[in-house]
Parts: sequence; C-alpha cells; structure tokens
Amino acid sequence: MLSKQVITNVLNAALSTNADFAEVFIEDKFQTSATLIDSKIDKVNNAKVSGIGVRVARDYHVVYGYTNSKKEADLVQLATDLAQSFKGDPRGITFELGELESDQVHTVKLLPSEVPIKDKVDILKRADKAAREFSDEITQVHARYADYVQDVWIANTNGTYVKDQRVRTRLAVSAIASNEEMKQHGFNGPGGFHGFEIFDDLIDVEAAAKEASRIAIQNLHAEECPSGTMPVIIDNGFGGVIFHEAVGHSLEATSVAKGASVFTGKRGEKIASDLVTAIDDGTIPNAWGSATYDDEGNKQKRRVLIKDGVLSSYMIDDLNAKRMNEPGTHSGRRESYRFAPTSRMTNTYIDNGKSSFEEIIKNTKYGLYAKKMGGGSVQPATGDFNFAVMEGYIIRDGEIKEPVRGATLVGSGKDALQKIDMVGNNLLRSQGMCGSASGSIPTDVGQPTIRVSEMTVGGRKGAN
Amino acid sequence: MNFDQLFVLAKEKGIEDLQVYYSGGTNFDIEVFKGSLEKYTIADTAKLSVKGIYDKKMGTVTTEIINDEQFEFIVDSIVASATAIESEDEVFIYEGDKHYKKVEGLYNKELEDVDPKRKIDDTLKLEELVKAEDDRVTMVQAFYGDGTTNVLIQNSKGLKLEKKVNVGVFGAYVIASDGNDQRTAIEYQQSNSYEDFDLQTIAKDGAEKACALLGAKPVDSGAYEVILQNNASTALLAPHISMFSAENIQKGISLLKGKLGTRIASNLISLVDDPFMKKSSKSGSFDDEGVATEYNELIDNGTLKSYMYDLRTAKKDDVTSTGNGFKNGIHPTNLYIKPGETDVEDAIKSMSKGLLITELAGTHAGCNPISGDFSLQASGYLIEDGKKVQPVALITVAGNYLELLKNVTAVCSDKKMNFAFVGSPSVKIKSLQVSGK
Repeated sequence: MLSKQVITNVLNAALSTNADFAEVFIEDKFQTSATLIDSKIDKVNNAKVSGIGVRVARDYHVVYGYTNSKKEADLVQLATDLAQSFKGDPRGITFELGELESDQVHTVKLLPSEVPIKDKVDILKRADKAAREFSDEITQVHARYADYVQDVWIANTNGTYVKDQRVRTRLAVSAIASNEEMKQHGFNGPGGFHGFEIFDDLIDVEAAAKEASRIAIQNLHAEECPSGTMPVIIDNGFGGVIFHEAVGHSLEATSVAKGASVFTGKRGEKIASDLVTAIDDGTIPNAWGSATYDDEGNKQKRRVLIKDGVLSSYMIDDLNAKRMNEPGTHSGRRESYRFAPTSRMTNTYIDNGKSSFEEIIKNTKYGLYAKKMGGGSVQPATGDFNFAVMEGYIIRDGEIKEPVRGATLVGSGKDALQKIDMVGNNLLRSQGMCGSASGSIPTDVGQPTIRVSEMTVGGRKGAN
Repeated sequence: MNFDQLFVLAKEKGIEDLQVYYSGGTNFDIEVFKGSLEKYTIADTAKLSVKGIYDKKMGTVTTEIINDEQFEFIVDSIVASATAIESEDEVFIYEGDKHYKKVEGLYNKELEDVDPKRKIDDTLKLEELVKAEDDRVTMVQAFYGDGTTNVLIQNSKGLKLEKKVNVGVFGAYVIASDGNDQRTAIEYQQSNSYEDFDLQTIAKDGAEKACALLGAKPVDSGAYEVILQNNASTALLAPHISMFSAENIQKGISLLKGKLGTRIASNLISLVDDPFMKKSSKSGSFDDEGVATEYNELIDNGTLKSYMYDLRTAKKDDVTSTGNGFKNGIHPTNLYIKPGETDVEDAIKSMSKGLLITELAGTHAGCNPISGDFSLQASGYLIEDGKKVQPVALITVAGNYLELLKNVTAVCSDKKMNFAFVGSPSVKIKSLQVSGK
C-alpha cells in the first residue's frame, strides 16, 4: 500500500495543469482458480493482480493511465504526463485526505486466501461425482472453481479516501450429455460475495452439479424449437438476463449521457407495462454484485430504475453526472485498475408481482416456457437484444409440454417492456459476469417468472 | 529482470524444470466525441506467468508483482498447484526447436514514433469525416489505439526466446437516425504501419453501414438462401474454433473427433492458421510453450486435415505440436477461411431470393460449439432478383455450423480479419432457418 503522502503527491502532480479532478485507484487482488475435466483436477493457478490507475479530468474529459509500478517517482511521472492533456494554469484546488474510511458491510467468515488448495479442488470432485451420478448419459463434466480477495484503495481530490475489500467465490459446472446422434450441455454457476463458507452456508455442491446435468439431459431429449412470434414465459432467476440486456444497459449513463440510448430523456415517462418495477441494488448483503463502495469510492446504493412502469432513475457514475448535470447514483464500477470506471449495474432485478407461477402457465394457451436462460447481448442505441434459451418447453392449453432446444429470443427492449403482461411472485436472483466498457464485472440478474405477450423466437425448426 | 535465482530456488524445492513467460508492454488509446478529446489512456504493464514440473505434474502461477521477493511465492504456488493436479497426461518444458522462421514486420518503430498529437488530430478528423458522409449520422465515437508487447520465454532447459510486436487500430462507432429508426455500425482498420490507415474509407464504410440499415424490419419466417458477409461469417467462425482444438477432441467435447481425413465442409472451404501473416500482433515464430509455429491447413478443400495441438495433446496422439500452445490453452494464431474467386457483388446479383446478412449478434450465447447448433440475432438485406430490396433487422438465423460448412455454395474474394485476427470472406449458404414476422 502507498502512504497517504505519496497518494497526495500523485494527486497534486495530476493537478499541476488545468485539470479539475484527479483520482488514484490502487488494487491488490489474489485469486485462485481450478479446473476439473475427465474427473481429474486439470489446472490449478494462483494469481496476483496488482496495479494502480490514475485518472485526471477536466469537466467530463478524462485521461487515464495505469501501471504495475508502485514507485512514487513512476506514479508522479505518470500523473504529470497525463496532466499535459489539460494545458493551462492550475486551478488552485486544495484537498486533504482524512482518515482512511473502511466500513465493511458484507462480512466474510473464511477468507479464501487462507483455505488450502486441497479443500478447493475437493469441491470440484464432489461436483463431478454428483453430476455424473445423475445419469449415464452424462459423458463429460467440466467444473471450475474460482475465488478472489480484491483490496482496493480509492483517493481523489474531492477528499475521498476509502478502502474496500471484495471477496467472491463461485463454482461453475458444465455437464455434457451425449447419445449417438449428438451432444448437448447444461450449465449452472452459483456464487456470491462470500469466502469459502459459501459451500456450507449457501451452495449445495451436489445439487448445483445435478442441476447442470438435468439441463443437459433435458436438451438431449428435446426437439428443435419452432420459430415465429409467440407468448414467452421467462422463469425466475437467470431469466432476469432479459431485463439486464434489454433495458439495464440502456439505463447506464455511459450510453444515456451521450444520447446514445433509446431511454435518453425519458425519465418520468412510462416505458414499461404497469406491472414492472425494476431495481438495481448494490447493497444486498453478500450478493454477487454487491460491494460496500463503488469503484469511485462512493457508498453503494439501492436504485429504483422503474416504478410501476415509469422510468425513475438511470445508473450514473460521477463523471457522467457532470455531463448530465445531476447527481450521480454511485454506479461507477470497473474490472480492475486497467479500466477507468463507468456506470454499471450491480444486482439488477424486476421486483415481485402478484401472479403465481401456476397462474401464469395456466393462462397461456400456446407459447414458449423459457425455464433457463443462457447469455445475450444488446445494442444500447437501438435497444435490440438477443438471448439464448438454455432450457425450454412448449406450452399448450395451460400445460407445460414437450422440451425444445436451440431457441434464441430477439426483440427490442422498449417493446418487450410494454408487452410484459404477467409478473410472478417468486423473485430469485442468479449470478453472471457482465462485460462492457470498464471490463468484466460480477452482476446478479433476477426476476420472478414473467410473461411477455409476444416475442420473436428463433429456432431451427420452421414455423408451427 | 534476471531469473537465475528463481531457477536455483525451484531446483532446491524439487521442481524438475521451470519456465517463465514474461509479457510487458505499453498501450495508448484515444476516444474523441463531439470535436474534443474525451478519453486518453496510457499504460505500462507487465505480467509474469511461471510453470514448473513437480512430481510429474505441471504447476502454474501468475503475478503482476515482479521482483525477487516474489520468487518464494512463485515456487511455493507451483508446488501447491502441481500437488493438487491429478491429470496423468505427460507434461513438458520444451528444450526448443532447431529452427525458428524469421517473421518480418512484427514490430514497426515508426508507429510508436508518430507524435501522439497527430494521432489525436487524426482521430478528431475521422469523427468529422464520418459526420460529413451523411446527414443521417447523429453520433460518432472515433477511436485510435496502439500497443507494443515484449515477450520473453526462458526455461531451465536453456531455451530463451524473445519477440516484440506492435499493432494499431483506427475506427469509428457510428449511430444514424432518420427520425423514426436508429441504427449503429462499427468500422475499423488494423496495422502497425501508420501510413496504411485510410480514414476516408473508414468514414465512408462506417456511415454507409449505419445509414443503410435505417428502416430495417423483420422478414417473414422461413428457410432462406443466405450470403453471410465477411464480418458476419467471421463472427460465426470465431466461437467454433474450439472444435479444432486437440484438447476438446481428446476430452470428447468436439464433433470433429474421428473425422480427420474426411469431408466435413464444401470443397470450396479451406481453413488455415497462418502464424506468419504480416502486420498481425498474433504472428510470431514460436508459441507460448516455445514451440516453432507452422502454417497449418485445418481444412483443405472441404477435407479435415489437422487439429490444433500443443505439446501435451500432441504427445497423447503421438504427433508433433502444431505450435498452438498458448497460455490459456490451445488457440490459433491468425485463422481464416481462404478467399475464393467469386466477387461478392456477383454473388448478390446471382441470388433470386434470399438474405444478405451483414451482422450477427449474440455469438457468445447463441452458439453452442459442442453441438455446433446456433441461433443468432441477424441484420442485413432482403435480396430479390439480385437487388437489395429492403433492410432487415430483428430476425434470427439458426442452423448447425458443420451443416452450414457443407452447404456453402460460393466463397467470395473479400476476406477480412477481425480484431482478434480471425477472418473470412463472404460465403453463400444454400439454406438457413430464419425467424422473423
């Protein structure tokens, strides 16, 4: 760690020209990953990530530099080089870094850095055994274990001086089912802001592995999904990826501030069906996407994005707050010191409605039931999105019928939001990694079971 | 950095052989927006990956803190990692090849010597050029970036290899609007020679791409003859490269297992991995294991000729490594479908009814390289009687990649490489399932 004096010197060097803001982000991260395939531990790796990012800004113009060096001379030089972008006289900004603030809201019982590797790889062996025991048709299991302890220190010329520790642990199981004709796979990847205690307190390793196998087997015996437009019921948990992709990204200031989002200028307007209330909450205790502070040193918050269908808040980092001329929502996040922060989601979900799961199914004459979703992507400027269905069924006359595979859902975010006509009462969150301008970061997606009255379903089978 | 002490310490702790892979470099990025420099990034970073054989297992560790004080941590981590590993595959630290082909032009100092001010001015100019192309362009984010990487591989068997590579990229992200509809496009060029960048062409192509799709709408669902434009064909090829990895073959998760020497694609398709391609940051005379790279024909006129191997998988199949052993597993260098003779405009003209797909989205989730099945969001044009009659968006195209390769009826001459140096020309496909209206 750098001393307060060194940090102050670097910040002052950054203000030596006409800049109005400077920030130092220091990161030390220790991560362990392990892989199992063919029922044998195949790779185990420890990694130390360590570096410093210096950000200098004037209004909303920003220069960013990063390095692995922790030498004062190198860092002052980097800050001085960056400052050359803002030619002019210093603004005489003074600041003082006080006591290092370090509230730690999310507590961890067993730091993964203090757990022997043997215990970690045992998790993979248990997962492999359970996944294979599920069925003879499971022919391969690829299991991955990952944990990290990330310590960050953030200081800036507004006087922010905080330390945050993020601890995350995750198990990811990919099961492959085969017969003579084909191979299909199923995936399940639970995790959280936890240490190794997660495997006692939260994750049932065997159940998690069996879930991956169950999906793989379903797909092996599924028919090709028909294509066309139809009602789609998207189940709770990872189904929330639809909201994340179709709407969440378009509510990030990264695209909103530049007018590059379909939702720019729409606050206070009705953008979704009355049934939709959506929240981005970085404060949920020990959730995968939570942290005590964001990556600009602000306390994480709960943000109501959509209330009863009306757009109520964007997600705004401090820099875009200047551009938008309004307060930030403490939404600045980044993968590591190699990225300048920008507005990002944390744990984002559609809130509970009133319908039960059974009611939703019963009230659907024909449609697709997407029980498990894969990933997807969106173009924020158009709102057009796509995502893959990992486990799907056809619904006929209010009953779940034959399994189907290979479906992709496409649509535009603003249409899909208006077409949500039933919202369940069984909210569940699920873990994912989200890639965007400031790197790949952990985020929770979530929702209760919802029904979209009409969506384009792309499968390999022709229209029914 | 001198690693002699590390080698000594490793031996003392019972590590048979050790190899360090050091990669360090600088990066420079510019983004402009509305006529001013918006973001400017400079970086200087290094990373050390070390692997060692302990009790016949390969332990690994990585660190960005690189100094003598880390040696103990490095050696202990390798021992701990190797001790946990159960795979019985034979592992290797490589003594080196006799010959390494000299690859010219990996590093071009001139790119680094270009004044940053000129790079910024040119990026600002690119933004202006794109805007000037078409009134319907409402937003442009022009960018420039370059990077230089130094690689050093050194091991206890006396191998020492070094290379220096640089590459630059100029591009623009374009949004166009006609008042009702909004569309986007990204256009870029890569090279390590600054004189190669043609801003006017980037501007023209970027603006054209974004504006042309305005008013796009879905077509009727059904089976269509399809031309996948070079970018789209590349986007579809990239997630399926893992099928050619010997590791996936040996683990039973590739459909190409047991298919060597058989016809897996139309005879128009030849797929090659070319480590000697000029002006590519992926080129080089050795892979991350220190093995000499080679020009490898994976598919030759439709016949599967080879997989991609590293040392460990090659030993298992009793063949030699193809020089595809990289830090994160088996990967290609510069992989592309060889261009054919057909002019893409002629391919369009010869289509009586079909789709020209110019962009595919969601390939990270919508492709399943284990089954080969894909279902992807697509945009492009409806073609009737050889003419573009309507821009198309919000449809999906679905199929199976191996079936698609068999159903290729024409390979065009317009090969283009993407950011990751995977490439393809435009290809014409007999039929794909489309879901739209």
